[in-house]
Amino acid sequence: MQIEIHNLTKVYAENRGLLPISLEVEKGELIAVIGHNGAGKSTLLKILANWHRPDSGHVLVDGINLENRLEVVREIGFVPETPNLFDFFSVEYNLTLFARLFHVPAGRIEKILQEFDLLPFRNNKVQVLSKGLRQRVSIGRALLADPPLLLFDEPTSGLDFEMTKEIYRLLRDFHASGKTIVFTSHRPEEIKTLATRVIMLHQGHLLFDGSPEEYFQSDIYNKTSLPC
Amino acid sequence: MLRNIITLTLNDLAIAFKNKTIFLIIFIPFFVFFSLKLVDRTAAEFKKINIGLIQTETYTPLILQTITSADKIFALSRVSGEEEGKKWLKEKKIDGLLVRSEKEKGSVVLVVLKKESLQTLSIIESFSALQKAAEGNGINWISDIETLQEGGIQKQTLPTWILMLVLLVGFIIMPAQVAEEKEKKLLLALLQTPMREIEWLGAKVLSGMVLILAAVLSLHLLGAFNPGNVLSYAVFIVVGSFCFSSYGIFLGFLCRNQASARTLGVMFYLPHLLPSALSDFSQKLTAVAPFLPSYQFYEPIKSILLDEGRLSNLSPELIYLFAVGVVTLLLSYLLMKKRWLM
Repeated sequence: MQIEIHNLTKVYAENRGLLPISLEVEKGELIAVIGHNGAGKSTLLKILANWHRPDSGHVLVDGINLENRLEVVREIGFVPETPNLFDFFSVEYNLTLFARLFHVPAGRIEKILQEFDLLPFRNNKVQVLSKGLRQRVSIGRALLADPPLLLFDEPTSGLDFEMTKEIYRLLRDFHASGKTIVFTSHRPEEIKTLATRVIMLHQGHLLFDGSPEEYFQSDIYNKTSLPC
Repeated sequence: MLRNIITLTLNDLAIAFKNKTIFLIIFIPFFVFFSLKLVDRTAAEFKKINIGLIQTETYTPLILQTITSADKIFALSRVSGEEEGKKWLKEKKIDGLLVRSEKEKGSVVLVVLKKESLQTLSIIESFSALQKAAEGNGINWISDIETLQEGGIQKQTLPTWILMLVLLVGFIIMPAQVAEEKEKKLLLALLQTPMREIEWLGAKVLSGMVLILAAVLSLHLLGAFNPGNVLSYAVFIVVGSFCFSSYGIFLGFLCRNQASARTLGVMFYLPHLLPSALSDFSQKLTAVAPFLPSYQFYEPIKSILLDEGRLSNLSPELIYLFAVGVVTLLLSYLLMKKRWLM
């Protein structure tokens, strides 16, 4: 089991967040976490990425408790909705800084730059790049340590059609290489074409957990007014 | 057009309220008011100059009689000896000390903290006026002025400039830097690497210390100021920069964004700068200021630069600064672990 979530709770003001949820994720799954705004999708991912501390419950990733951040950090790569990069530095600087912190060899940076078509932009400051390119740098950074689990928070939000297709291709490639992927989404085509499993959250509760086919045929899909 | 301007103005004010900038507008007048309350004395008190007289000293009877009778101008305090008198001067319990002159019979030497000060000028003028009234033009009652703090006005003000630089980095630059990393989620990105929290904190403290040391060094190089006791001075600058860098990082952790951090920074900067820098002018501030870490930094720096103070006599201040640095660093660590306002 790659991820084991037990009674995870995180409540913000106005009772938003996650109410106790428990679920398990197998290695190699490609999971779409869906739900309305404020359902708890991003909160779930941010807890898995160690951005937020849960109020209660615990999470094991590859058998390691998330609280042991230093032990689990190489297992997880997180790509937030808005790329959090050092804007005033170059693409290469950003990757080099994180590569040094991960103690990965410099050759890995070249590989990432090549793999994500970032070589022409290596010396460009991040702040002058388009959102799509910044997203690619952010994904490249998440892959520096080659983690087996990748988390994407609305990976195609704000991207144009071409860049969205590019992200879909990358997600499929990561999945094909055996990585476990969890992403949040509002887009029906993403769920239909990418996901092997759908988890639906509603007001912090787990409302649905099954295959995309089951989801689109379910009453929940028909009753909830999600765009997908 | 006017409607848009009003709408946008209200929006700007709402932003100022949201990011707490508006607090400065309230805070600064309040702070200035309370500081002035502490600095100012009543008009009657203000005119009185506190003069120290050595109990065992034999002063010229006319001088003694004149200044004793001028009780609206002078308040007289008796000290056991010259050493105690100088100590009182440093503690601002007296404004000047009279010592019998060895060179000129019938006159006195005035011992003051600084030659170029309003108080010294006031003592000289008052003595001169009293002398004229008592005996007309004769030999000056004050034959010489001895100062406890050496150096010209440039050196006299150096400790205040150094304090300003240290506090500027500590309370303005560091909190904004930390808050920016929090606001842009850069700190969270760094926490997704095997970097330890304490490593990040250590690096931040070190960067703050480097900025402070660079600023202080630049000031010394530009002004060609010689600190005198270099070792004691260097130790205090290093420990002070550690203390205020840590303090600034802690303030940064209390804020969600840069705008709040700047506001909070100013709210800490002024109360740390002014009471310490103004303590020379007020006994009340001298009584309050020791509670501030800035005073525990300012006084030793002043002592080393102006009074040839030594590290061996200043260890309580050093321990205090180090302890404040360690405590604030520890608090920052706890807030970081909790992902406070991230």
